[in-house]
Amino acid sequence: MGLGLLASRAMRPLRNSHSSVFLRTIVSKPELQSAESSAAAQAPPEPDLPPRTPVGGARIHFPNPEDAIEVFVDGYPVKIPKGMTVLQACEVAGVDIPRFCYHSRLSIAGNCRMCLVEVEKSPKPVASCAMPALPGMKIKTDTPVAKKAREGVMEFLLMNHPLDCPICDQGGECDLQDQSMAFGSDRGRFTEMKRSVVDKNLGPLVKTVMTRCIQCTRCVRFATEVAGVQDLGMLGRGSGEEIGTYVEKLMTSELSGNVIDICPVGALTSKPFAFKARNWELKGTETIDVTDAVGSNIRIDSRGPEVMRIVPRLNEDINEEWISDKTRFCYDGLKRQRLNDPMIRDADGRFKAVTWRDALAVVAEVALQAKPEEIVGIAGRLSDAESMMALKDLLNRMGSNNVWCEGTGTQPSADLRSGYIMNTTISGLEKADVFLLIGTQPRVEAAMVNARIRKTVRANNAKVAYIGPATDFNYDHQHLGTGPETLTELAEGRHPFCSAISNAKNPVIIVGAGLFEREDKDAIFATVEAIAKKHNVIRPDWNGLNVLLLNAAQAAALDLGLVPESTNSIESAKFVYLMGADDVNLDKLPNDAFVVYQGHHGDRGVYRANIILPASAFSEKEGTYVNTEGCTQQTLPAVPTVGDARDDWKIIRALSEVAGLTLPYDSVGGIRTRIRTVAPNLLNVDEREPATFGPSVKPEVTGKMDTTPFKSAVENFYMTDSITRASKIMAQCSAMLLKK
Amino acid sequence: MSFTLRSVKVPPNSANLEEARSRVFEFFKTACRSLPSIMDMYNLDDVASKSQLRSVISSEIRKNSHVTNPKVIDMLLFKGTEDLNNILEHAKQRHHIIGQYVVGPQGLVQDLDPKDRGMSNFLKNFYRSNYF
Ligand code: SF4
Ligand code: FES
Repeated sequence: MGLGLLASRAMRPLRNSHSSVFLRTIVSKPELQSAESSAAAQAPPEPDLPPRTPVGGARIHFPNPEDAIEVFVDGYPVKIPKGMTVLQACEVAGVDIPRFCYHSRLSIAGNCRMCLVEVEKSPKPVASCAMPALPGMKIKTDTPVAKKAREGVMEFLLMNHPLDCPICDQGGECDLQDQSMAFGSDRGRFTEMKRSVVDKNLGPLVKTVMTRCIQCTRCVRFATEVAGVQDLGMLGRGSGEEIGTYVEKLMTSELSGNVIDICPVGALTSKPFAFKARNWELKGTETIDVTDAVGSNIRIDSRGPEVMRIVPRLNEDINEEWISDKTRFCYDGLKRQRLNDPMIRDADGRFKAVTWRDALAVVAEVALQAKPEEIVGIAGRLSDAESMMALKDLLNRMGSNNVWCEGTGTQPSADLRSGYIMNTTISGLEKADVFLLIGTQPRVEAAMVNARIRKTVRANNAKVAYIGPATDFNYDHQHLGTGPETLTELAEGRHPFCSAISNAKNPVIIVGAGLFEREDKDAIFATVEAIAKKHNVIRPDWNGLNVLLLNAAQAAALDLGLVPESTNSIESAKFVYLMGADDVNLDKLPNDAFVVYQGHHGDRGVYRANIILPASAFSEKEGTYVNTEGCTQQTLPAVPTVGDARDDWKIIRALSEVAGLTLPYDSVGGIRTRIRTVAPNLLNVDEREPATFGPSVKPEVTGKMDTTPFKSAVENFYMTDSITRASKIMAQCSAMLLKK
Repeated sequence: MSFTLRSVKVPPNSANLEEARSRVFEFFKTACRSLPSIMDMYNLDDVASKSQLRSVISSEIRKNSHVTNPKVIDMLLFKGTEDLNNILEHAKQRHHIIGQYVVGPQGLVQDLDPKDRGMSNFLKNFYRSNYF
């Protein structure tokens, strides 16, 4: 660990000067007590070669090469851009400075004083996180003065911190625990009573034990800066200082779970995870999230066959280091309402468990009796690319081409990739200065994209305009209108906001994928493109026209060309294959149609199903997903499948063989080779494939826009798919946190 | 335990493939010779015949016929000897023997359905479990 490394490095100069004392890394010793004498005894610093690697692979980006300055960290020279703090300079030099309040993505508070270092010619140790590095500064991180200072700070912090590590959920991953081991004193001098603080109720997600709080204010800064809610604050002064909501109130943010990660101690911990497991008994699996189209990078921590928690993983291009509450807490849905056996509906309407052999035989028989144009296949919002490929191939072999992914509407256009992905990229949004959101509520549709927009709004005062039904934003915005008329006004240049877009350097238009479901979507997209053209949103160096997708499966489905042949195939269908599709409207389906539901949850799709084939959920399989910006990512299996479930693509492959239409692949490798011939970008994992052509090559659209206003695409942020709908925590959240 | 240790002495490594080969034959013969007492001990007469068990032993040995490294052969022989000794010591029970050597790893469930004959390995594995 970084700290242990640091601690052992802290030991080295001592060894040089006083070869007799190196029994322990951190001890209080006479030479530490009198800083000056030992500083004098210090040997002149010699550069520590070969160069050290920066902490955590910290990268430096020089915006302007002239602005580079050189500082010395423990005698080792580093070049850093002007304006970096001393702490960042040390990080670049490979020295991990202990810290509590500093967080690279939050503003600097400088109130914990743990990061004290010695700077030559400065009379006192300085708080490195708040001190800008100056040219030629000589920073010393492992001198007795610095160590003494840290030891002192540690002692003060531990004065009021309870010694309840054995029952604290942060134990084992607690910054205070680690740093007191590395930098603290070996004895305490405090004999009085510790203070205690009343716990606050922050809602169903975050558990508080406020006595443990060390007042670093990270959570307050996170709430105000990143989450954009003014719920948390600091009350009182001195030893009466407390973190809390000013009034008795819950924390209503879709990002509130992140305070659990940033709190350096166990003051804010996860309520659903409380007392469930210790972090060292968990197995981490690095995978991605599928509850929205962002594809946040997550780590699934599991113990045995059970998912215990989900935590974010750093990915600067997608989710930085945050995830939404839905992503973090949906995991209990993976344990409830699961389908674990193939089942057939009896004549009396009850489901009866059968073997795979019988189930597949029945499905194959019915499928072969249906006429090709009566066969329909619908992929669900959580489907991975492999299974969608297999489904499409199987249906094509049966002679039907009516296969699509739910949420893409009746007539998706998969021809131009730029027409359904986020062309600016999620991280590219930070360069924008004007946003025009059309029919999308990013806060509920893609919380991480919304966090980026908020970041941009805070950083460069970007303007945000919004067209759609009234909704909640956590940044300033202008509500231009609710429907297509406003679009027409913008396209014709009659709207006052036009000047803002055309004067912008990097304007961004984001269109919500909810509009895909509208009948007049071609006309709407044509109008949006007209706006883009008129205001120069698409330039060779900047593509600001974006679509914000809703589901994890959507982009891959369109990449693979899952486009239905006819718009009303459901009305005449006799055989419907739902691959995890729960949100399709089956009202128009004839009563004698045979419905196969393949999926992992007994959700809406099951109500109408005649036969159930249990499949594995995203935490149990390896699957390829493409996120809304076109970045291909893969999930990895963290836990075994439930019951007798099988991976989606395997079920379809097996069914194809039983039906006598054997698909030409029987391994993941084989199916990926097949995908390569259709959409090679799906094999470049962790890479973003930009769209090649802009909308300029699109054919002319003739059609008029309807005047019905836009609808919101996501009614309930916490419950959007079969996993989140099965989750108890998400149900609590929607009951308590959603404003009615 | 001491009994096991006594009976499974570790012989010196085979010097070459030839020596290892002859040891295998030795082992096979020993195993075959102990078959009558094993069948007695575990009451196997009503489930298997001597010749059946003999061919099971030989097929177990043939399973490793591709091994050419004398050290590996020695190791496999050691395992075989150990197993044989365990059986002779009555350290196993009847169902162990039946499960391992009479019925075989396929279990009692055999795909006897004539429809399943032309089934691919994929489908066979699919019916068995999700992990293959
Ligand atoms: S609750 Fe945690 S993050 Fe917030 S101030 Fe206290 S210690 Fe810091
Ligand atoms: S990290 Fe510098 S004062 Fe807290």
